[in-house]
Amino acid sequence: MVEVRLENIVKRFGETVALKGISLHIKHGELFTLLGPSGCGKSTTLRIIAGLDYPTEGKVFFGDQDVTNLSSSDRGAVLVFQNYALWPHMSVFDNVAYGLRIRKLPKGEVEKRVKWALELVKLQGFEDRYPTQLSGGQQQRVAIARALVVEPKLLLLDEPLSNLDAKLRLEMRSEIRRIQRELGITVLYVTHDQEEAMAISDRIAVMNVGTVEQVGSPREIYEHPKTEFVASFMGKTNVIPAKVTEREGDRVTVEFESFRLEGLTYSGEKDDVVIVIRPERISLHPVEDAITLEGTVDLVEYYGFFVEVIGVFGERRIIARTISTREVSVIRPTQPIKFYIRRDDILVLPKQL
Amino acid sequence: MKSNWSERLFGTPKFEPLVATSYLFPLLYLLFFLIIPVLAMLAIAFTYNGSLSLHWFREIFSFNSDYIKLPSTWSLFQSVKMPGTGETLYIIQGLDFGIVLNSIIVASVVTLLASFIGTIFAFLMARYTFPGKNLFRILLFIPLLVTPFVSAYVVQQIFSEYGIVSSILHALFGFRVRVDGLAGIALAQSITYYPIVYLNAYASFINIDPSLEEQAENLGSRGFHLFRTVTFPLALPGIAAGATLVFIFSLEDLAAPIVFHSNDLAKRIMSYQIFSKFLFGTGERSPLIAALAIVMLTLAIIAFLGIRKYVSLRQYAMLSKGGRWSPRVSKPRIGQALIIYLLLLPLLLFTITPQVGVVQLAFTEQHRIVTNVTDITASVTGVMYPTGSITNGTLVTPKGGWFFQGTVKGYSDSIGVINGSISGFFVGKVTVNNGEVKLTGDISYADFQGLASRYNGTIHTQMKGPITGTGELLSGGTVNLTSTRFKATMFNIPAGQVSKFSFNYVKQMILTPDVRRYIVNSLLYSTVAVILIVLLSITSSYATSRFKGALTPVLESIVILPMAVPGIVVAMGYFYFFHLVFPGTPLDPISPATFNPAYVLILAYSVRRLPFAARSVYAGLQQVHVSLEEASMNLGASRWKTVTGIVLPLISLNVFGGAMLSFVYAMSETSVGITLGSLNMAKAPITAFMKEVLLSAAGSINIAAALGVLLITVQIISIVLVNVITKQRYSFIGLS
Ligand SMILES: Nc1ncnc2c1ncn2[C@@H]1O[C@H](COP(=O)(O)OP(=O)(O)O)[C@@H](O)[C@H]1O
Ligand SMILES: [Mg+2]
Repeated sequence: MVEVRLENIVKRFGETVALKGISLHIKHGELFTLLGPSGCGKSTTLRIIAGLDYPTEGKVFFGDQDVTNLSSSDRGAVLVFQNYALWPHMSVFDNVAYGLRIRKLPKGEVEKRVKWALELVKLQGFEDRYPTQLSGGQQQRVAIARALVVEPKLLLLDEPLSNLDAKLRLEMRSEIRRIQRELGITVLYVTHDQEEAMAISDRIAVMNVGTVEQVGSPREIYEHPKTEFVASFMGKTNVIPAKVTEREGDRVTVEFESFRLEGLTYSGEKDDVVIVIRPERISLHPVEDAITLEGTVDLVEYYGFFVEVIGVFGERRIIARTISTREVSVIRPTQPIKFYIRRDDILVLPKQL
Repeated sequence: MKSNWSERLFGTPKFEPLVATSYLFPLLYLLFFLIIPVLAMLAIAFTYNGSLSLHWFREIFSFNSDYIKLPSTWSLFQSVKMPGTGETLYIIQGLDFGIVLNSIIVASVVTLLASFIGTIFAFLMARYTFPGKNLFRILLFIPLLVTPFVSAYVVQQIFSEYGIVSSILHALFGFRVRVDGLAGIALAQSITYYPIVYLNAYASFINIDPSLEEQAENLGSRGFHLFRTVTFPLALPGIAAGATLVFIFSLEDLAAPIVFHSNDLAKRIMSYQIFSKFLFGTGERSPLIAALAIVMLTLAIIAFLGIRKYVSLRQYAMLSKGGRWSPRVSKPRIGQALIIYLLLLPLLLFTITPQVGVVQLAFTEQHRIVTNVTDITASVTGVMYPTGSITNGTLVTPKGGWFFQGTVKGYSDSIGVINGSISGFFVGKVTVNNGEVKLTGDISYADFQGLASRYNGTIHTQMKGPITGTGELLSGGTVNLTSTRFKATMFNIPAGQVSKFSFNYVKQMILTPDVRRYIVNSLLYSTVAVILIVLLSITSSYATSRFKGALTPVLESIVILPMAVPGIVVAMGYFYFFHLVFPGTPLDPISPATFNPAYVLILAYSVRRLPFAARSVYAGLQQVHVSLEEASMNLGASRWKTVTGIVLPLISLNVFGGAMLSFVYAMSETSVGITLGSLNMAKAPITAFMKEVLLSAAGSINIAAALGVLLITVQIISIVLVNVITKQRYSFIGLS
């Protein structure tokens, strides 16, 4: 188990700059997730930590040891590949035993450890099968067993669930969490799915085109996004471009369309801002310390246990999400509506995109 | 981390000896055994009187030289009278534009013909389903089998004045035809090389996404318009790749010119010129042929680079990847069916005649059958030499008879008109009455030499028969036979040949130590060469498929370069290079006492046949995802362990397929084998012996054919092995 530090990692592929100077600190025993859209540099970061790629600039530390120039085989940071990379010419047993045999463990020990690893991923009895005879989820488990059996300092998972169907995805997600807890190992997890990231992680780093935008616990990231990108990436949300018109310390007045929102908190320098409001934080009933927006109903979308009411305010459409109660069921398009939002739930962030 | 020299050259951030070796071993190997030898030849071609000069090239490229000129006669065929019968024989041999242009013209004609035939068959097989298609499939497999020299020999025989074609024309129109010279070479090469186009074109047609054609049809295109506007353009890169190989193969081919070498025009072609001057010249070789070799090399490389550029620009056949599709096949309409069965089937049967002929030659022994003919009536005119003086009265035969000599004209129902000279003995009575001479008696055995119209060529036989006639007494005691009639019997007239199935030649091939030695040599050299080829193709393909160093494009180009270097150029390059660098050693071709062709032949085979295996191994490596290796290294395995434990097992079938393919082509390698290889016949390969048979009648063509059958067997065995073991279609030669 190990702490990982990345210091100012830059990675260029010819003209492309895949990573623009990334620093991260992954703590001992935590499940740390890199989250970001496809192409933002997650895999590259992972491969640099695994030693499969070398950074153009910057350093990688495992604990106090500078491993930047250490080859992959000497690092002990084991990667589970997105496509599992199981060797088709070897049985499940041989796949899992591979790393142990490289380490020249005695035969009995190899058998014991492989058995342990396959039990851990609940695949006992599959030793003699070949990868092509396994389902996607089983292949995934073999890949994880193969990585865990060598007792890696750090387990790296690159979008491990992306090739599985929806049901298996949920199952494997909790499996991975269970194994990580059981073994107490440090896991670096990569995904582009924010829901998955929030469900599984101790901490998340949100990445965007080669940079880390924010690091924090799932709750911090969701509730206190530091940038417009993070806010909009973490689930469906209302992002409304606006202007700061008055300031008094952190207290600002912000205007959009013909609406004027007073008493919001903002300490940024730019006057071009966005207002971020989570749909579920909009109430259709008056609440305390709230601002009120008056508009008309455009659309009501029914999702079963909740309902989304889309209101039009001037030209701006804003989504509110609420539990589908009887009162809500009478709301019809074109009728007037009032959205109540607590000032605490309105985020003002510098305009970014 | 700074990018360093290792990353720049080899694409590995840290220096890895195994990766560096993968780059450097094939690079240096080809540098030393292909590029530098060819450059050595270049140096000689550009030297005149000890200084750098274009002299030799000026000689070649001056108009109206031996190399480039206009034909002295423009007639496409000559007509001559057959000796004896006086029938008309048309000889088609091509026009003489000079050595360089002749080569280019022959290669172009062969390319066009081969492309035409190959494309038609490919389209047929890729797009139509019809009764008998399996027969076509099996038959189309036969022309792929390579039998150097003997197949060209069979083509030559088929188109000789007594061959099948001529016999048919003779029966129908009364004249005979011989295809010879440049035309003969072009014909033999077209039949030999069209399968290369066929394979490439077939693959192209099969790989066209059907939706592309369906869309065009959907928009109203059909029939030939569809073919011309969509199908053909999409398949063209593949066809062109095959056509280019044919062009290069034709340019460098030596087998067909050697087979046709008794025709003077057949020798007026670059490959034969280089070959003959190179092999038969003694002492210093003329720089002129080095220059000629450079001209040939340049042509081949231009063709090769042209096609590489073209194909890489137009790789659209593969653009739309929509998983697997079932190819579009349709039933031919009635007109098309007629074309298939009446035109294409005979054409196909014709193109397999070389292989069929080779097998037939190898397994048939021919015996002449002779007969006696008794129904001849003939007249003899000539001179009779009696012994002693002759006066009136009856003279009886002296002991042994009177010797006579004359000409004979006669007729027999069974052998037709007889014409010829005769000499022999007369036994009987001669009555002389006032100078008038009468003869009765027998002609005892007399030699007859001449023609009988039922037979082709001369008959040499013995005659015998009762004779009556008159004569005139000449001074000196001789008798002028004026009209002497006789009924004759002819003995032992060749009445034809019987062919009998026989294992004799195959037995001779295996049992004659001389011939067996060539087989053993070829097997040995090819095996060692294949081991080298396997090492070279694994290392080079691993380097180029996995790492993106600056050396990658260099290695990629250099590995396929041997395809563009004519074998005779390699042979000449080796000749100069090894003499220069290793004089007096077994590698030095000019030192007959020490020279052992084994080494140069193994080197030449390994270089010349590398591209075939390398392609196969490269394709295999592309199927193996890099993450399989990364996973291994990531788990702590070294590069060596990863390559041997993960990569090699996964590409073993491709390696095997490539090895078999290059083995087959090494066994039938011609150019280097018949030049450098024949400098020491004790160590020569099969092909050198076959060349001797055709060039100097040392040994029988039947044994050469038996060797051809051996090569065919080797090829069939490897094809079956590859099919069974790798479950892949054996791919033969391809470029795309
Ligand atoms: N080997 C490579 N060569 C060139 N560009 C690369 C390579 N690997 C990644 N990239 C580029 O780097 C960027 C980040 O890629 P990646 O780390 O794979 O993104 P992610 O895993 O977040 O989807 C992308 O623009 C990608 O095209
Ligand atoms: Mg990725």
